[in-house]
Amino acid sequence: MNEAYDGLGATFELYADVYDRNSIDGRGLPLDGSVHYEKDYDNAFWNGERMVFGDGDGQVFGRFTVSVDVIGHELTHGVTQYTAGLVYKDQAGALNESISDVFGSLVLQYSHKQTAAQATWLIGQGLFTARVKGVALRSMKAPGTAYDDPVLGKDPQPATMAGYVETEDDDGGVHTNSGIPNHAFYLVATGIGGYAWEKAGRIWYDTLLAGMKPTTDFAGFAALTLAAATKRYGEGSAEADAVRAGWSGVGVAIDGGGAS
Amino acid sequence: MAAARAELSIVVVRSGGFTGISRRWAIERPDPDDDWVALVEACPWGQVAADRESRDRFTWRIEARVARRHHRASVPDRELTGPWRELVDRVQRDGSSDV
Repeated sequence: MNEAYDGLGATFELYADVYDRNSIDGRGLPLDGSVHYEKDYDNAFWNGERMVFGDGDGQVFGRFTVSVDVIGHELTHGVTQYTAGLVYKDQAGALNESISDVFGSLVLQYSHKQTAAQATWLIGQGLFTARVKGVALRSMKAPGTAYDDPVLGKDPQPATMAGYVETEDDDGGVHTNSGIPNHAFYLVATGIGGYAWEKAGRIWYDTLLAGMKPTTDFAGFAALTLAAATKRYGEGSAEADAVRAGWSGVGVAIDGGGAS
Repeated sequence: MAAARAELSIVVVRSGGFTGISRRWAIERPDPDDDWVALVEACPWGQVAADRESRDRFTWRIEARVARRHHRASVPDRELTGPWRELVDRVQRDGSSDV
Protein backbone atom coordinates (compact mmCIF):
# COMPACT_ATOMS: atom_id res chain seq x y z
CA MET A 1 0.00 0.00 0.00
CA ASN A 2 2.81 2.41 0.90
CA GLU A 3 4.64 1.49 -2.29
CA ALA A 4 1.58 2.32 -4.35
CA TYR A 5 1.18 5.61 -2.47
CA ASP A 6 4.83 6.54 -3.06
CA GLY A 7 4.54 5.64 -6.75
CA LEU A 8 1.46 7.80 -7.12
CA GLY A 9 3.32 10.68 -5.48
CA ALA A 10 6.41 10.26 -7.66
CA THR A 11 4.27 10.24 -10.81
CA PHE A 12 2.28 13.28 -9.70
CA GLU A 13 5.57 15.10 -9.00
CA LEU A 14 7.06 14.45 -12.44
CA TYR A 15 3.95 15.70 -14.22
CA ALA A 16 3.50 18.69 -11.89
CA ASP A 17 7.13 19.81 -11.45
CA VAL A 18 8.47 19.16 -14.93
CA TYR A 19 5.46 19.48 -17.23
CA ASP A 20 3.24 21.74 -15.11
CA ARG A 21 0.41 19.24 -15.38
CA ASN A 22 -2.02 19.02 -12.49
CA SER A 23 -2.69 15.28 -12.18
CA ILE A 24 -3.62 12.99 -15.05
CA ASP A 25 -6.48 15.04 -16.44
CA GLY A 26 -4.69 18.38 -15.95
CA ARG A 27 -7.45 19.43 -13.56
CA GLY A 28 -6.35 17.84 -10.32
CA LEU A 29 -8.21 14.56 -10.66
CA PRO A 30 -7.66 12.63 -7.41
CA LEU A 31 -5.28 9.75 -8.10
CA ASP A 32 -6.97 6.56 -7.17
CA GLY A 33 -5.78 3.00 -7.05
CA SER A 34 -6.68 -0.44 -5.79
CA VAL A 35 -4.10 -2.89 -4.49
CA HIS A 36 -4.21 -6.65 -3.72
CA TYR A 37 -6.71 -7.17 -6.58
CA GLU A 38 -8.03 -10.75 -6.67
CA LYS A 39 -5.79 -13.63 -5.57
CA ASP A 40 -2.39 -14.31 -7.16
CA TYR A 41 -3.28 -11.77 -9.85
CA ASP A 42 -0.38 -11.37 -12.30
CA ASN A 43 -1.17 -7.92 -13.55
CA ALA A 44 -1.56 -4.20 -13.11
CA PHE A 45 -4.00 -2.27 -15.26
CA TRP A 46 -5.83 1.00 -15.84
CA ASN A 47 -9.61 0.61 -16.02
CA GLY A 48 -10.36 4.04 -17.45
CA GLU A 49 -10.73 5.63 -14.02
CA ARG A 50 -8.20 4.13 -11.65
CA MET A 51 -5.18 1.86 -11.39
CA VAL A 52 -5.57 -1.70 -10.18
CA PHE A 53 -2.65 -3.79 -8.89
CA GLY A 54 -2.34 -7.50 -8.25
CA ASP A 55 0.03 -9.16 -5.80
CA GLY A 56 1.48 -11.58 -8.35
CA ASP A 57 1.43 -15.35 -8.02
CA GLY A 58 4.72 -15.54 -6.11
CA GLN A 59 5.98 -18.08 -8.66
CA VAL A 60 6.82 -15.90 -11.65
CA PHE A 61 5.77 -12.47 -10.43
CA GLY A 62 5.91 -10.67 -7.15
CA ARG A 63 3.70 -7.70 -6.31
CA PHE A 64 3.14 -5.19 -9.09
CA THR A 65 3.68 -2.14 -6.89
CA VAL A 66 7.37 -3.00 -6.45
CA SER A 67 8.68 -0.50 -8.99
CA VAL A 68 7.54 3.10 -9.47
CA ASP A 69 7.81 2.80 -13.25
CA VAL A 70 4.89 0.36 -13.20
CA ILE A 71 2.78 2.90 -11.34
CA GLY A 72 3.97 5.69 -13.65
CA HIS A 73 3.09 3.47 -16.61
CA GLU A 74 -0.49 2.87 -15.45
CA LEU A 75 -1.17 6.51 -14.55
CA THR A 76 0.24 7.61 -17.90
CA HIS A 77 -2.48 5.53 -19.57
CA GLY A 78 -4.78 8.02 -17.89
CA VAL A 79 -2.78 10.98 -19.21
CA THR A 80 -2.90 9.54 -22.73
CA GLN A 81 -6.64 8.97 -22.37
CA TYR A 82 -7.15 12.64 -21.51
CA THR A 83 -4.74 13.98 -24.18
CA ALA A 84 -3.85 12.04 -27.35
CA GLY A 85 -6.73 9.58 -26.89
CA LEU A 86 -4.82 6.88 -28.79
CA VAL A 87 -6.83 3.74 -29.45
CA TYR A 88 -5.51 0.48 -28.05
CA LYS A 89 -4.85 -1.45 -31.21
CA ASP A 90 -1.99 -2.09 -33.64
CA GLN A 91 0.50 0.78 -34.07
CA ALA A 92 -1.61 3.37 -32.22
CA GLY A 93 -1.94 0.87 -29.37
CA ALA A 94 1.79 0.21 -29.36
CA LEU A 95 2.35 3.98 -29.17
CA ASN A 96 -0.11 4.12 -26.27
CA GLU A 97 1.94 1.41 -24.53
CA SER A 98 5.25 3.05 -25.37
CA ILE A 99 4.15 6.43 -24.01
CA SER A 100 3.35 4.69 -20.72
CA ASP A 101 6.77 3.02 -20.68
CA VAL A 102 8.48 6.32 -21.56
CA PHE A 103 6.88 8.33 -18.76
CA GLY A 104 7.00 5.37 -16.37
CA SER A 105 10.75 5.25 -16.91
CA LEU A 106 10.98 9.03 -16.55
CA VAL A 107 9.17 8.85 -13.20
CA LEU A 108 11.86 6.42 -12.05
CA GLN A 109 14.72 8.47 -13.52
CA TYR A 110 13.36 11.70 -12.05
CA SER A 111 12.93 10.19 -8.60
CA HIS A 112 16.56 8.96 -8.67
CA LYS A 113 17.91 12.03 -10.50
CA GLN A 114 19.57 9.85 -13.14
CA THR A 115 20.88 11.15 -16.45
CA ALA A 116 20.01 9.35 -19.68
CA ALA A 117 23.44 7.75 -19.55
CA GLN A 118 22.99 6.59 -15.94
CA ALA A 119 19.45 5.20 -16.30
CA THR A 120 18.87 1.47 -16.72
CA TRP A 121 15.98 2.02 -19.20
CA LEU A 122 14.44 -1.17 -17.82
CA ILE A 123 10.70 -1.49 -17.26
CA GLY A 124 9.45 -3.56 -14.34
CA GLN A 125 12.78 -4.30 -12.73
CA GLY A 126 12.20 -6.40 -9.63
CA LEU A 127 8.84 -7.76 -10.76
CA PHE A 128 10.13 -11.23 -11.54
CA THR A 129 10.80 -13.59 -8.67
CA ALA A 130 14.34 -14.91 -8.21
CA ARG A 131 13.54 -18.12 -10.08
CA VAL A 132 13.02 -16.30 -13.41
CA LYS A 133 16.02 -15.69 -15.66
CA GLY A 134 15.55 -12.05 -16.48
CA VAL A 135 16.30 -8.55 -15.22
CA ALA A 136 12.99 -6.91 -16.09
CA LEU A 137 9.97 -7.11 -18.40
CA ARG A 138 11.22 -4.77 -21.07
CA SER A 139 14.35 -2.87 -22.00
CA MET A 140 14.08 0.43 -23.84
CA LYS A 141 17.83 0.43 -24.35
CA ALA A 142 17.94 -3.06 -25.87
CA PRO A 143 14.42 -4.35 -26.61
CA GLY A 144 14.29 -8.14 -26.75
CA THR A 145 16.95 -8.68 -24.05
CA ALA A 146 15.06 -8.17 -20.78
CA TYR A 147 14.51 -11.88 -20.08
CA ASP A 148 15.34 -15.27 -21.52
CA ASP A 149 13.83 -17.97 -19.39
CA PRO A 150 13.27 -21.70 -19.97
CA VAL A 151 9.65 -21.41 -18.85
CA LEU A 152 8.64 -17.92 -19.99
CA GLY A 153 10.63 -17.86 -23.20
CA LYS A 154 12.51 -14.88 -24.51
CA ASP A 155 11.58 -11.21 -24.43
CA PRO A 156 9.79 -10.84 -27.80
CA GLN A 157 10.18 -7.09 -28.27
CA PRO A 158 11.65 -5.79 -31.54
CA ALA A 159 13.93 -2.74 -31.47
CA THR A 160 13.32 -1.74 -35.09
CA MET A 161 10.64 -1.96 -37.79
CA ALA A 162 12.45 -4.92 -39.34
CA GLY A 163 11.20 -6.98 -36.38
CA TYR A 164 7.62 -5.63 -36.29
CA VAL A 165 5.32 -8.44 -35.13
CA GLU A 166 1.96 -9.03 -36.83
CA THR A 167 -0.39 -10.79 -34.42
CA GLU A 168 -4.03 -10.75 -33.43
CA ASP A 169 -3.30 -11.39 -29.75
CA ASP A 170 -2.60 -8.58 -27.30
CA ASP A 171 -4.65 -6.10 -29.39
CA GLY A 172 -2.24 -6.50 -32.26
CA GLY A 173 0.91 -6.93 -30.20
CA VAL A 174 0.73 -3.58 -28.40
CA HIS A 175 3.11 -4.80 -25.66
CA THR A 176 5.50 -6.25 -28.24
CA ASN A 177 5.77 -3.59 -30.93
CA SER A 178 6.02 -0.85 -28.30
CA GLY A 179 9.71 -1.85 -28.28
CA ILE A 180 10.17 0.18 -31.47
CA PRO A 181 8.98 3.61 -30.24
CA ASN A 182 10.52 2.78 -26.83
CA HIS A 183 13.91 2.38 -28.45
CA ALA A 184 13.40 5.52 -30.54
CA PHE A 185 12.84 7.49 -27.33
CA TYR A 186 15.96 5.96 -25.79
CA LEU A 187 18.00 6.97 -28.85
CA VAL A 188 16.59 10.51 -28.77
CA ALA A 189 17.20 10.91 -25.02
CA THR A 190 20.74 9.57 -25.09
CA GLY A 191 21.43 11.54 -28.28
CA ILE A 192 20.46 14.77 -26.53
CA GLY A 193 22.12 13.76 -23.26
CA GLY A 194 21.55 15.06 -19.74
CA TYR A 195 18.29 14.37 -17.91
CA ALA A 196 15.85 12.62 -20.25
CA TRP A 197 12.78 14.28 -18.74
CA GLU A 198 14.05 17.78 -19.54
CA LYS A 199 14.19 17.71 -23.33
CA ALA A 200 13.29 14.30 -24.81
CA GLY A 201 10.47 13.95 -22.28
CA ARG A 202 9.33 17.51 -22.99
CA ILE A 203 9.22 16.80 -26.74
CA TRP A 204 7.15 13.65 -26.14
CA TYR A 205 4.86 15.51 -23.72
CA ASP A 206 4.37 18.38 -26.20
CA THR A 207 3.50 15.74 -28.81
CA LEU A 208 0.83 14.28 -26.53
CA LEU A 209 -0.82 17.70 -26.46
CA ALA A 210 -0.43 18.33 -30.20
CA GLY A 211 -3.89 17.11 -31.11
CA MET A 212 -3.06 13.86 -32.84
CA LYS A 213 -5.58 11.48 -34.36
CA PRO A 214 -6.52 8.53 -32.11
CA THR A 215 -5.31 6.15 -34.84
CA THR A 216 -1.91 7.81 -35.34
CA ASP A 217 0.73 5.33 -36.48
CA PHE A 218 4.49 5.27 -35.81
CA ALA A 219 5.37 7.45 -38.83
CA GLY A 220 2.67 9.99 -37.96
CA PHE A 221 3.80 10.11 -34.34
CA ALA A 222 7.43 10.47 -35.41
CA ALA A 223 6.51 13.44 -37.59
CA LEU A 224 4.68 15.04 -34.66
CA THR A 225 7.69 14.62 -32.36
CA LEU A 226 9.91 16.29 -34.95
CA ALA A 227 7.41 19.13 -35.29
CA ALA A 228 7.32 19.49 -31.49
CA ALA A 229 11.14 19.51 -31.25
CA THR A 230 11.40 22.06 -34.06
CA LYS A 231 8.75 24.28 -32.48
CA ARG A 232 10.40 24.27 -29.05
CA TYR A 233 14.11 24.14 -29.94
CA GLY A 234 14.27 25.40 -33.51
CA GLU A 235 14.86 24.09 -37.01
CA GLY A 236 18.24 22.37 -37.24
CA SER A 237 18.65 22.36 -33.46
CA ALA A 238 20.57 19.52 -31.81
CA GLU A 239 17.27 18.38 -30.28
CA ALA A 240 15.46 18.22 -33.63
CA ASP A 241 18.41 16.39 -35.16
CA ALA A 242 18.37 13.87 -32.29
CA VAL A 243 14.66 13.23 -32.89
CA ARG A 244 15.28 12.64 -36.58
CA ALA A 245 18.19 10.31 -35.81
CA GLY A 246 16.22 8.44 -33.16
CA TRP A 247 13.38 7.49 -35.50
CA SER A 248 15.79 6.74 -38.30
CA GLY A 249 17.62 4.41 -35.92
CA VAL A 250 14.51 2.24 -35.50
CA GLY A 251 13.58 2.28 -39.18
CA VAL A 252 10.69 4.73 -39.03
CA ALA A 253 10.83 7.28 -41.83
CA ILE A 254 9.52 10.77 -41.19
CA ASP A 255 7.83 11.84 -44.39
CA GLY A 256 8.51 15.45 -45.21
CA GLY A 257 8.88 16.26 -41.54
CA GLY A 258 5.38 17.75 -41.53
CA ALA A 259 2.90 17.39 -38.70
CA SER A 260 -0.24 15.20 -38.75
CA MET B 1 -31.03 -39.61 -32.18
CA ALA B 2 -27.77 -41.25 -33.08
CA ALA B 3 -25.26 -38.79 -31.79
CA ALA B 4 -22.11 -38.27 -33.81
CA ARG B 5 -19.04 -38.99 -31.81
CA ALA B 6 -18.56 -35.89 -29.76
CA GLU B 7 -15.01 -34.75 -29.54
CA LEU B 8 -14.01 -31.75 -27.58
CA SER B 9 -10.98 -29.56 -27.74
CA ILE B 10 -10.60 -26.16 -26.15
CA VAL B 11 -7.68 -23.78 -26.34
CA VAL B 12 -7.42 -20.69 -24.15
CA VAL B 13 -4.75 -18.07 -24.83
CA ARG B 14 -4.33 -15.20 -22.39
CA SER B 15 -2.44 -12.31 -23.96
CA GLY B 16 -1.68 -8.74 -23.01
CA GLY B 17 -1.56 -7.49 -19.47
CA PHE B 18 1.16 -5.12 -18.30
CA THR B 19 3.73 -7.88 -18.73
CA GLY B 20 2.71 -8.74 -22.29
CA ILE B 21 3.60 -12.38 -21.60
CA SER B 22 1.09 -14.79 -23.12
CA ARG B 23 -0.06 -18.03 -21.53
CA ARG B 24 -1.90 -20.92 -23.08
CA TRP B 25 -4.06 -23.71 -21.71
CA ALA B 26 -5.63 -26.56 -23.64
CA ILE B 27 -7.82 -29.56 -23.07
CA GLU B 28 -8.94 -32.43 -25.26
CA ARG B 29 -11.55 -35.05 -24.50
CA PRO B 30 -12.35 -37.86 -26.96
CA ASP B 31 -15.66 -38.44 -25.25
CA PRO B 32 -16.58 -35.39 -23.21
CA ASP B 33 -19.22 -35.31 -20.51
CA ASP B 34 -22.47 -33.57 -21.34
CA ASP B 35 -21.67 -30.78 -18.92
CA TRP B 36 -18.57 -29.82 -20.91
CA VAL B 37 -20.70 -29.55 -24.04
CA ALA B 38 -23.38 -27.62 -22.19
CA LEU B 39 -20.80 -25.21 -20.79
CA VAL B 40 -19.34 -24.51 -24.22
CA GLU B 41 -22.79 -23.98 -25.67
CA ALA B 42 -23.74 -21.68 -22.78
CA CYS B 43 -21.03 -19.18 -23.69
CA PRO B 44 -22.34 -16.21 -25.68
CA TRP B 45 -20.13 -16.75 -28.75
CA GLY B 46 -20.39 -13.87 -31.18
CA GLN B 47 -21.90 -11.57 -28.58
CA VAL B 48 -18.87 -10.34 -26.69
CA ALA B 49 -18.88 -6.68 -25.69
CA ALA B 50 -15.70 -4.70 -26.38
CA ASP B 51 -13.76 -2.99 -23.62
CA ARG B 52 -12.50 0.30 -25.05
CA GLU B 53 -11.61 1.89 -21.71
CA SER B 54 -9.18 -0.50 -20.04
CA ARG B 55 -5.44 -0.59 -20.68
CA ASP B 56 -3.10 -3.45 -19.79
CA ARG B 57 -5.95 -5.84 -19.06
CA PHE B 58 -5.74 -9.39 -20.35
CA THR B 59 -7.42 -10.52 -23.55
CA TRP B 60 -8.65 -14.13 -23.68
CA ARG B 61 -8.75 -15.91 -27.03
CA ILE B 62 -10.97 -18.93 -26.63
CA GLU B 63 -11.36 -21.57 -29.31
CA ALA B 64 -13.61 -24.57 -28.83
CA ARG B 65 -14.47 -27.48 -31.03
CA VAL B 66 -17.24 -29.69 -29.80
CA ALA B 67 -19.41 -32.11 -31.74
CA ARG B 68 -17.86 -30.80 -34.95
CA ARG B 69 -18.92 -27.25 -34.21
CA HIS B 70 -16.25 -24.62 -34.07
CA HIS B 71 -16.45 -21.59 -31.85
CA ARG B 72 -13.99 -18.75 -31.49
CA ALA B 73 -14.07 -15.55 -29.47
CA SER B 74 -11.74 -12.87 -28.19
CA VAL B 75 -12.96 -11.92 -24.74
CA PRO B 76 -11.70 -8.85 -22.85
CA ASP B 77 -10.82 -9.59 -19.22
CA ARG B 78 -13.63 -7.32 -18.07
CA GLU B 79 -16.16 -9.47 -19.92
CA LEU B 80 -14.80 -12.79 -18.64
CA THR B 81 -17.75 -13.54 -16.40
CA GLY B 82 -20.48 -16.19 -16.09
CA PRO B 83 -20.00 -19.18 -18.41
CA TRP B 84 -16.82 -17.67 -19.93
CA ARG B 85 -15.20 -17.54 -16.52
CA GLU B 86 -16.41 -21.02 -15.67
CA LEU B 87 -15.07 -22.41 -18.95
CA VAL B 88 -11.66 -20.78 -18.56
CA ASP B 89 -11.40 -21.86 -14.91
CA ARG B 90 -12.19 -25.43 -15.89
CA VAL B 91 -9.72 -25.55 -18.77
CA GLN B 92 -7.05 -24.08 -16.48
CA ARG B 93 -7.85 -26.63 -13.78
CA ASP B 94 -8.28 -29.79 -15.88
CA GLY B 95 -6.22 -29.06 -18.97
CA SER B 96 -2.55 -28.73 -19.74
CA SER B 97 -0.67 -25.50 -19.58
CA ASP B 98 2.25 -24.02 -21.34
CA VAL B 99 3.47 -20.48 -21.03
